[in-house]
Amino acid sequence: MCKDYVYDRDIEQIAKEEQGSFEITASTSTEVSHQQYSVPGLGEKYPTWETTKPELELLGHNPRRRRIASSFTIGLRGLINLGNTCFMNCIVQALTHTPILRDFFLSDRHRCEMPSPELCLVCEMSSLFRELYSGNPSPHVPYKLLHLVWIHARHLAGYRQQDAHEFLIAALDVLHRHCKGDDAGKAASNPNHCNCIIDQIFTGGLQSDVTCQACHGVSTTIDPCWDISLDLPGSCTSFWPMSPGRESSVNGESHIPGITTLTDCLRRFTRPEHLGSSAKIKCGSCQSYQESTKQLTMNKLPVVACFHFKRFEHSAKQRRKITTYISFPLELDMTPFMASSKESRMNGQLQLPTNSGNDENKYSLFAVVNHQEPWRVATTPASSGTTRTSGSSVMMPSSPRPVLRTLDSEGYLLFYHKQVLEHESEKVKEVNTQAY
Amino acid sequence: MPPLSSGQQGGEGRWQPLEVPWTHTNIPPQCVQPCCRPLCYEQSEHRLHKSSQMKMEEMSLSGLDNSKLEAIAQEIYADLVEDSCLGFCFEVHRAVKCGYFFLDDTDPESMKDFEIVDQPGLDIFGQVFNQWKSKECVCPNCSRSIAASRFAPHLEKCLGMGRNSSRIANRRIANSNNMNKSESDQEDNDDINDNDWSYGSEKKAKKRKSDKLWYLPFQNPTPRRSKSLKHKNGELSNSDPFKYNNSTGISYETLGPEELRSLLTTQCGVISEHTKKMCTRSLRCPQHTDEQRRTVRIYFLGSSAVLPEVESSLDNDSFDMTDSQALISRLQWDGSSDLSPSDSGSSKTSENQGWGLGTNSSESRKTKKKKSHLSLVGTASGLGSNKKKKPKPPAPPTPSIYDDIN
Repeated sequence: MCKDYVYDRDIEQIAKEEQGSFEITASTSTEVSHQQYSVPGLGEKYPTWETTKPELELLGHNPRRRRIASSFTIGLRGLINLGNTCFMNCIVQALTHTPILRDFFLSDRHRCEMPSPELCLVCEMSSLFRELYSGNPSPHVPYKLLHLVWIHARHLAGYRQQDAHEFLIAALDVLHRHCKGDDAGKAASNPNHCNCIIDQIFTGGLQSDVTCQACHGVSTTIDPCWDISLDLPGSCTSFWPMSPGRESSVNGESHIPGITTLTDCLRRFTRPEHLGSSAKIKCGSCQSYQESTKQLTMNKLPVVACFHFKRFEHSAKQRRKITTYISFPLELDMTPFMASSKESRMNGQLQLPTNSGNDENKYSLFAVVNHQEPWRVATTPASSGTTRTSGSSVMMPSSPRPVLRTLDSEGYLLFYHKQVLEHESEKVKEVNTQAY
Repeated sequence: MPPLSSGQQGGEGRWQPLEVPWTHTNIPPQCVQPCCRPLCYEQSEHRLHKSSQMKMEEMSLSGLDNSKLEAIAQEIYADLVEDSCLGFCFEVHRAVKCGYFFLDDTDPESMKDFEIVDQPGLDIFGQVFNQWKSKECVCPNCSRSIAASRFAPHLEKCLGMGRNSSRIANRRIANSNNMNKSESDQEDNDDINDNDWSYGSEKKAKKRKSDKLWYLPFQNPTPRRSKSLKHKNGELSNSDPFKYNNSTGISYETLGPEELRSLLTTQCGVISEHTKKMCTRSLRCPQHTDEQRRTVRIYFLGSSAVLPEVESSLDNDSFDMTDSQALISRLQWDGSSDLSPSDSGSSKTSENQGWGLGTNSSESRKTKKKKSHLSLVGTASGLGSNKKKKPKPPAPPTPSIYDDIN
């Protein structure tokens, strides 16, 4: 007897089944997957992936591997400009670098249920991911994507320069509509709440509280939102009560007096606002028309938060672009802007996030879309300190101090990814984006 | 855990065979909980004092001298280390035994292939920039092969979604009733596809800042157009719009007086200094002023020549610059000088050279009879469609707030 450990699959299978019915705490970690699963006492275990015998053979016959890592070109590929389509290319680059979306599509999770799959935008996204992660150095021509978007979102069709934000919303909408197939089991349980991958990732809940000034009754509505549009100082219509830079730097943004930060914009977005005497609302509780205050906060945070700066102003006579520089951080904590933090806001104080180890609302920046001629996007494997910028078809390597350069750029769309993901049954799964 | 044989050590030899006294642990591999206890020598001493039950032997600690205590502390320390590593070791052992230990390593070949290049003048793949100008794709709608950089404008027309497509379609319908057969062949040579840019109204015919290069897919991609532009549409119809291109100049030397006269009633006619050819654009062509037009007419037709009235509905400044397939078939006069592509390198504007195609108003049908002399010359699209000769291309199309803002 060699006294060595033996691994028998049948026994293991039995063990798994038995364990499922007990409360256990198990954690496993592997160096390669960089993931840690911690299942506090619910009996359901998320084991690491282990190969089956046929898979093993297959992998043995094919020794070449492609890794997504910051030093490899896998995942990076230029996109050809089809004629004023660099706004589209930027959004495509941002989406394909969204870690959770990447994981979804690269593991082939989309099941198409469209009557004609060649018209399914999600299938096209799937193949787009395959193309962009293939390691192919020649730029990809996204003509099929353009065609499908124009067919399904008619208002975007037309050869002209367009807004990346508008394109993003339209694309998400079409993807959402085409995602029906992936929802199969869960749709029945909650018909109002679509559970497609787009909704899981991008949909947040924006809570609007209207407080009657007379009886202090609060009427709350929660609306789904895919992005947060922020006003900027310097616009004709904005009311910017706080002097920028007054508060101490909340999120580690580079803090120079006079420079507006993303946090400032968010603070303004979530401040209680008096609606004025011309906009009296009938209060539900005291049944009279009263003045009220309205406050917007985040009720549910999306996995990927997209911040949109309203840089384009349309006034009666002119359109102009607001070029105010806004400083934004690599890491963002959204706790002060949540509905649960409202009470402290009422007094005008901003609840500063404490280092209490609560990482639930922490985000990392992974893509920035700029509107400087031409549309450019910088995507970053988070916290690796490098960025790749792409214009239309050329993928440029990061230059020295690329992080600073990105943060210095005049951002238009900012994409932040949650650092910690929660499962529906409140299990915690930590995604270490350094594995990117 | 018994020591693994040397053949199973990782290539780097990063761990060594362990001898873990597992008789008192009895942990089946699946339920292993890696020990997170910090390894600390002082702690092991602490444990030593507290956990005398763990020892197999009964000892009275008080009677021991320092060296013995140290030895015991050492042993407990080693225990702690091993406990911490246990989970990891089990995993590695399992991975090696089941054969998937080395699966995730990147093979050296792939590492070289996919490594990012960071050198000046090259992109991350180690390629030189801008070598991708000739990418093509197949239009899903009409199944034609289109140059990638022209795909969007082509698709717009192909799907009938453009601003002008409905107008063109209407014109087509209207004019198809009027067309007579003898001209229909020549009509085929016309390119009536609308262009993607429009001229300004006459007031704006003078120098406009949109005179700069307007269709630059790799440069400033935002064409400009102010709202007051009227879009003048081309005429009719050709089902094969992509074959031909509008050209701009006419060699007036070869025209007879009659032809000249009729030409001048419908076209701009101003003679370009560079090419010595007459402009075939509409009477409202922004390139040239009314003064110039009058001068030309006086020159050719005598002092009584009058600049004809222009009906906007007949104006047509269309040309199609979509497909590269659209190639640049140009029509050239026999014996005329070569229309060498004297373009500025980066521009892809299709300025019309040579004659014919794209003409302009319906009256110019008469002049089209000349086409029998013409030979089609397809030119390779090095840079894409037409090479421009005129230094000042017309204004490009689409208005979009983003363009103006830029």
